[in-house]
Amino acid sequence: MDGRRGLRILVVLPMYGGSLPIGRHCASALSGLGHLVETFEAPAFYGAFEALKTLRVTSDRLEYLENSYLQVISQAICAKVETFGPDLVLALAQAPLSRQALKRLRRDGVATAMWFVEDFRLFTYWEAFAPYYDVFAVIQKDPFFERLAAVGQQNVLYLPLAADPAVHRPLELTPVERRLYGARTSFMGAGYANRRVAFAQLLDFGLAIFGSDWDGDAVLGPRLRLDGRRVTTEESVKIFNAADVNLNLHSSVSTQSLVSGGDFVNPRTFELAMCGAFQLVDRRGLMDELFSEDELARFGSVEELKERLGHFLAHPEERAGYAARARARALGEHTYARRMERLLDFTAGRIAGWPAGAGGEGALAGLPEPLRGELSALLRELSLPADVSFDDLIVAVRSRQGLLTPLETSLLFLDEWKKQYVK
Amino acid sequence: MARFLVLQLARLGDLAQTRRLLLGLGRQAAALGGEVHLAVDHSLAVLARRLYPFAVVHGLPAHGRPGLDARAAADRVFESRQALAALAGMAFDRVFCLNFSPMGMAVAAMFPPEVQRGYRMHAGQTDKDGVMRLVFRLARNRRGAGINLADIWAHLDDEPLAAALVNPAATARGGGLGVALAGREARRSLPPEMLAPLVRTLFLAMGGTRVTLLGTAAQAAEARALLRRLDSPVREACLDLTGKTDLPGLVDAISGLDRLVTPDTGAMHLAAFCGVPATAFFLSSAWCHETGPYGAGHRVFQAVAPCAPCLESAPCDQGLACRAPFGDAGLPRCLAGSGKALLPAGLVEYATDCDALGALCRPVRGEDPTLARREALRAFLTRRLAGVDGADVPGGLEPAGEYDTETDWVLPPAGRPARGEW
Repeated sequence: MDGRRGLRILVVLPMYGGSLPIGRHCASALSGLGHLVETFEAPAFYGAFEALKTLRVTSDRLEYLENSYLQVISQAICAKVETFGPDLVLALAQAPLSRQALKRLRRDGVATAMWFVEDFRLFTYWEAFAPYYDVFAVIQKDPFFERLAAVGQQNVLYLPLAADPAVHRPLELTPVERRLYGARTSFMGAGYANRRVAFAQLLDFGLAIFGSDWDGDAVLGPRLRLDGRRVTTEESVKIFNAADVNLNLHSSVSTQSLVSGGDFVNPRTFELAMCGAFQLVDRRGLMDELFSEDELARFGSVEELKERLGHFLAHPEERAGYAARARARALGEHTYARRMERLLDFTAGRIAGWPAGAGGEGALAGLPEPLRGELSALLRELSLPADVSFDDLIVAVRSRQGLLTPLETSLLFLDEWKKQYVK
Repeated sequence: MARFLVLQLARLGDLAQTRRLLLGLGRQAAALGGEVHLAVDHSLAVLARRLYPFAVVHGLPAHGRPGLDARAAADRVFESRQALAALAGMAFDRVFCLNFSPMGMAVAAMFPPEVQRGYRMHAGQTDKDGVMRLVFRLARNRRGAGINLADIWAHLDDEPLAAALVNPAATARGGGLGVALAGREARRSLPPEMLAPLVRTLFLAMGGTRVTLLGTAAQAAEARALLRRLDSPVREACLDLTGKTDLPGLVDAISGLDRLVTPDTGAMHLAAFCGVPATAFFLSSAWCHETGPYGAGHRVFQAVAPCAPCLESAPCDQGLACRAPFGDAGLPRCLAGSGKALLPAGLVEYATDCDALGALCRPVRGEDPTLARREALRAFLTRRLAGVDGADVPGGLEPAGEYDTETDWVLPPAGRPARGEW
């Protein structure tokens, strides 16, 4: 951690989708940086929305119920904020925070940040929600910055995606895993329209496809692995490690232009690089500042993809060179920890007086010496810094899973004593 | 193979207005090797095959006449079990239910929720796509609304055809003037005494060759009333085809016209479909920004009384105030082409056109009280619906705040599992 004290950060996850694992990586990175992190587990509430869809009521009533339940979830987040007292609420795209809740957080002086890991051109709802966040981090540059300024959002940060080196890493696979996840040419991801059409032209390259939403594709169906189910993050890392060439074609719902040539760089690019896996990726407007030409092998059209794919399949030594250079760059510059540091620095620079003063005295202050030693071990176990405040320590102890130790119970006792009896 | 099913169980005009969606799907099917299927009411099946020769048309029993006994109704419906079974046996990539109709949704429910678009039903629960939810919100303020029905349907698909490519350019076809008599809602039409001077003016302005009266048998009396009010040169040029054409015959009659004078009718949509210029009178519950003639080159005269557009099912308590300006002597002068003529108060003349979102009506004469609101709304909708093509359209931030809801932002749209996945 830089000179800033450990912060309390509430990460509000979305209920589903591609930004959900990103939210978890953010929470993990923030913890790793020494901050006290809680996550609002929105996916746990998602089942109720699915249940609403089984009611067999009118569609108008369904929409009303969905809105109402969403307000309840927003209130749950606000209640969590009241109890946890975070310095920052970090929401990922599609996090279930209503405008009403965001207004309330602003009124109560709670800083909020959104990491909008979506294409602003396709998901235009940001227009209605961006003004209500204190900080808005995005994966695209102009004209998005200009657009956000037009809706009144001045605190805009370009924050490209990243990978988590603890998760996305080189693996030694067993022969069974190699059989299950291995391929000469591999793609892991959802079956968007452009990919379906483009990959149908790659059947001669030993293509295997992993991921969901490929149903009904007669041409690619035989190449679909793991029954076309959604793969876990852990499985995706094995898939990346097990391929000679990983394809990375950014998604598009259009079949008019198979290689869309958009600007932002998807998480798969960083994850593959961090794994030390070789990838062939479509050129993107913002790619050059993230990786150099000798770190990522690129293509600009399906014809070029085919040509380069044939070349790299025949040249494993070149693949290894690219992969090693990309991993070094990713480790140095493209971790979620780096991104979170950047976000916190930006927030501190833009919000006057943020973060507020430390939450009370250090946890070790005023404790008898034998206890201090025992407590130091607990702090290490909880990944808390030595100067963590007593209040933050109590929050961390309360959020522990499983049975409490006598020391932890003693700390909770002490907390109550402080509240009830200490002046 | 890409296979699409469009459920269009409404009327003639709606069938013609489905063209943008169908052509877009047809283009995809041609590119990927596939089929477009179209389900319509039995009464429209022949016409549907003529309008959309690239589509496989299925007739379903969607419309009937009141007063059937239970057995007769059962017979009508169960006649189509085979047709339904045939549809259910096909694997469609997408099924578009375009009508807020229990019958359409019942057909859609034969298919998995992830392929349903538009109005939908799964496990007994009806629902709407995000686009349809948005449209319902817009409908609370129809006066400020500004998206054509054909474009709503087209944007249910991810790759709609460009609006300008939907209908042929509106051009005189050499067959004289056509007059469509009242549509299904008489209140949305001009009575013969108002229509007669307008027909006469257009007849003369176009060089006075021939006038064809078009409509169903139910409108024959109205045609006769119009004929009585026309002076003899015009009357003698009239051919009364009311009640004398079937639907393909109606298409034949319309497709050769120089211009069609019409209220908001199925005939108007057929004229646009055929590239025949329409001069359309919109009043009462008809709002040209929702159902105006599709494509460039048509003229629309819209009543913009403060109560317009009204609710079709509610009786008028304004003494049909929106109709009065159509009887003003200024309107024929405008129709005759006088650049100096003033349009009667309460009317706006529009020229139809296309943009990135779809079809639109651009004001050319008269004071348009809803223009600013409509432009803002279209800017918002263009960014929302037209994807990358519309991403750079500025303005319309206020409607974004008004019409985007938390559920839009937070919940996955029904049947779109890929959304948010990388």
